Amino acid sequence: MDESLVWQGRHFVYSHFAETTRPPSVDETAAHFGISKEEASKLYKELHNRHALFLDLDKVAIRMANPFSGIPTDFKVHANGKTYFANCAWDMLGIPAALQCDAVIDAVCTESNDTVRLEIKGGQIISHQFTNPQSTSTQLLIHFPIPFARWYDDLVFT
Amino acid sequence: MLLFRSEEWVDVWCKRNKLERGEMLSLQQVWELSKLWYGNRMSLDYHGRSMEQVAEVFRQAGLMSKFWYV
Repeated sequence: MDESLVWQGRHFVYSHFAETTRPPSVDETAAHFGISKEEASKLYKELHNRHALFLDLDKVAIRMANPFSGIPTDFKVHANGKTYFANCAWDMLGIPAALQCDAVIDAVCTESNDTVRLEIKGGQIISHQFTNPQSTSTQLLIHFPIPFARWYDDLVFT
Repeated sequence: MLLFRSEEWVDVWCKRNKLERGEMLSLQQVWELSKLWYGNRMSLDYHGRSMEQVAEVFRQAGLMSKFWYV
C-alpha cells in the first residue's frame, strides 16, 4: 500500500474525530480519497496493523484512534464547543493534549462511582472536584494495570 | 487505564478482577505524560514512535521503573 496514503489516511481519521467527535466510516474515507470501499477497508486494516488505530474488525469500524473513542465511555471531554469520548482515564487528558486546547472533563471513578469534573486551562489542570455532593476532595489516581510491554496484547483491556 | 478516588478502590478493583496492582499515577503525572505522548498526534507528520522514542517519552515523564521498560 502506498505509504503516503497510509499516513494521509491516519491524518484524515484524526482530523475527522477532531471536527465531528466521531470516526469516519469506511464510506466517508473512500469518498474523501476517491478510492473504493474495499481500498478504504484495506487502508483501515493497514492502520490497525500498524497500531495507528484500533478497529472493530467484524464491522471494519474504528473503535479507537487514541485518545479518541468511537464509542461512548465514562470519560467525556468538552472542548472547542464539542463533546468527545476518551478511551480511558489517560486518554481523557490525552484529548486536550492532542488538540492543545482548554477542556472540561466529566469522568466516573471506577468502583466507587464518584463523578468528577476536571478543568484544563492554559496547559494546566486548574481544578478537579467531585460532582456528587456526598464525596469529599481527595487525590485522584489513574491506575495502569499492565506494563507497557504488554499494552498491545489486548488493547481494549489496556 | 481507569480513574480511582483512592488506593483502596484500586485494591477492590484488582481483587475483583484477580489482578496484581499495576502502577498508580497522579492526575498531574498523567497530564505531563499526555502532553509528551499525544502533543503531536494531530500532525500529518506523526507516523508513530520507535521503541527508543517511547522510552524517551517515559524518561521525560519521569517514569523509570521496570513497569515502563519498552
